[in-house]
Amino acid sequence: MTQVPVSGRMPVPAARTVAVVVAVLAVIVWRMSTLTVTPTVIVQAVLTGLLAGAVYGLVAMGLTLIFGVLEIVNFAHGALLTLGMYLGFLLVDRFAMNPYATILIVVPALFVIGAALQAGVLNRAMGQPLENQLLLTFGVAILIENGLLLTFGATPRSVGVTFGAPLRVLGAVASFPRIIAFVAALVLAGALYWMLQRTKVGTAIRAVGQNARGAALVGIDARRIYVLTFAVGVSTVGAAAVLVLPFLRTEPTTGASFTIIAFVVVVLGGLGNVIGALVGGLAIGLIQQIGGVLLPGQDNLMAVFVVFLLTLFLRPQGLFGGRAT
Amino acid sequence: MRVRLLILIVMGTLVLAACGGGTTTTGDATGAASEAPDAAGDAASEDTGGGGGSGETVTIGSIHPLTGALALDGEQMDNAVQMAVEDLNGAGDLPVTLEVASADTQGEPELGQSEAQRLIDEGAIALVGAFQSAVTTNIATVAARQQVPLVIDVAVADAILSEENQYVYRIQPNATSMGEYGAQYLVDVAEAAGEEVATVGYMHEQTDFGTSVFDAFSAKAEELGIEVVESAAYDAFAQSDYTTEVQQVVAANPDVLVVTGYYNDGVAIAQNVADVQPDLKAVYGVANGAFDLPQFPGDAGDAAPYYFDSNYHFDATNDRVNDIRSRYEEEYGDQMRTSAVLSYQAVEVIAEALKGADDPTDPAALNEAIRGVEVADPLLTFPGPITFDETGENTNARPVVMQVLDEEIKQVYPQEFAEADPVFPAVPWSPPDQ
Repeated sequence: MTQVPVSGRMPVPAARTVAVVVAVLAVIVWRMSTLTVTPTVIVQAVLTGLLAGAVYGLVAMGLTLIFGVLEIVNFAHGALLTLGMYLGFLLVDRFAMNPYATILIVVPALFVIGAALQAGVLNRAMGQPLENQLLLTFGVAILIENGLLLTFGATPRSVGVTFGAPLRVLGAVASFPRIIAFVAALVLAGALYWMLQRTKVGTAIRAVGQNARGAALVGIDARRIYVLTFAVGVSTVGAAAVLVLPFLRTEPTTGASFTIIAFVVVVLGGLGNVIGALVGGLAIGLIQQIGGVLLPGQDNLMAVFVVFLLTLFLRPQGLFGGRAT
Repeated sequence: MRVRLLILIVMGTLVLAACGGGTTTTGDATGAASEAPDAAGDAASEDTGGGGGSGETVTIGSIHPLTGALALDGEQMDNAVQMAVEDLNGAGDLPVTLEVASADTQGEPELGQSEAQRLIDEGAIALVGAFQSAVTTNIATVAARQQVPLVIDVAVADAILSEENQYVYRIQPNATSMGEYGAQYLVDVAEAAGEEVATVGYMHEQTDFGTSVFDAFSAKAEELGIEVVESAAYDAFAQSDYTTEVQQVVAANPDVLVVTGYYNDGVAIAQNVADVQPDLKAVYGVANGAFDLPQFPGDAGDAAPYYFDSNYHFDATNDRVNDIRSRYEEEYGDQMRTSAVLSYQAVEVIAEALKGADDPTDPAALNEAIRGVEVADPLLTFPGPITFDETGENTNARPVVMQVLDEEIKQVYPQEFAEADPVFPAVPWSPPDQ
């Protein structure tokens, strides 16, 4: 059974990839010469893309960690984000907590929920065909989404935070909640990477990801690590939930759009590659916005899916994955 | 192993993308239909009230998205159907007793079709639904094939109705009507304020809904001498920040920004526009699902004041409407939206037709009766009674212009429905000095 390394290696891109990138850039330049696109619009696209991309990256990091170590396709990732958002909303609504302070409760809560999910439900499916785990997490997603619908109804909720004037850069604007989300996402991503690279438990996680049997031979309890890893992956989603709560409306299906994008990011960045997920997230955020500018009238997800397909054809191990084994 | 994982992810993503966002059919990519509880139907039939109900019971099928991303409206609409049936049974002047059978489309056209078929198989003599154009199109086919009338409460696409299909009726203005009146009303409101609108920038959600309203608006605008200088289509379900699109559209310096879309994107756009603070005379919604909702001023906060919406709306100047809405709020706990008022109206249309039908238990006879019905005192801002033309469109369907004034939604144009005068030009970051 080949294992996916949980790593941050950045190999030299192949000539084929370089050729495609050059071709894409040529198309971009051609489009720009035929469109009336002002500098403000470009700067706005880059700004919006980066800010959104950091959150995509944070969500994708949890997902890629779960892939890399457990090889579980977690379709419940977006639903868990929604769960985190509702939890945050409740804390703000009932206890008048500061929306950002809720991170102290939401992240541990989602950690526990993730651990319970893995220990109680998914651990039994480890070693079974991938489709079993896929269906399990899919089922969990449906349960969570409809449970939230039953409990809270479909009315969109907001936490109503006002931040005053946005940041202005060359005519483009960036609202403060999004800037805070950007910075916090980068900090949390760094913290996660540090935990994986520098702590004992992080090394144990990476060991199980590389070779579960070998890790067991040196005394690591793989099942406990599975629970821990899933819990950590889910808690990144809890953090992301708190960060987006101030500027998104919360409803039972809010997380669904994040699931799709997170999958694309994970494939782009390389399965199991945590740094790749962050960089991939930023890249997808940028591609989504700039693609929207260059191809007006098209769904800006189209540019994302084009990149997705190109990655699969040219570099299926992802931008930062090692050579496919 | 890795290849299999990749294939699973790709397939999963495609399934999610196809069944999830990006189309009007949002919701879960599940196979199993989850039926809405039928208990409500029984409750309605027990409540026959005083007076002359009758021995016979007929069933009205209520078919809406009760789960999924559009459940908010779907729930209200289903509640409204139940409430209308209770009220009408209580009034006691129908030749039959009404009962409701509810179904959940989950926002999926295939489910809409199968649920409509199921309701008809179980005895429904008329259908009310379905909120989404794609779903309603499928149900219209079933209605024609089974010869059971469908009274559309909410669905905007022109193409659902045609002369060939004699079993489908629509109460609300269709997409062309929305776009055309939107353009006309904009010119009228500006003129009344002594101002001119020469150019507009248009942001619209990218599916059939946004595109068809945009096309109709553009055609009419050209006739009226307004130039659409820039437009941007967006995916209402795949993103939450529209600042780039806003910048693109306002880069062309339009007088007015026009927006067509759903609720969440409408609120987000309002906030993005408030961040950018472009030089505009107004922000004007056409068939916008956000700008005329009672919760919009609360959700959008400082970004909401003075926003216009030319949209269908319950007639807030009509006492009968206010009574229905306050009773709805008492029973269900939230404010009755226009979509739900339309569902209530659909049941009233069916009831009125039942009174004149040869055989009130026969769908075909009911259909004949609906074809020629005239429903006075409509619940929406229509200038005359509800009557249907040869394609099934309501000849008197009109939108009305509303504006956010003092954190409330007020009808402002045309005069006969106005609760307040329109304030033009005005935007939240540059209020008029009055």
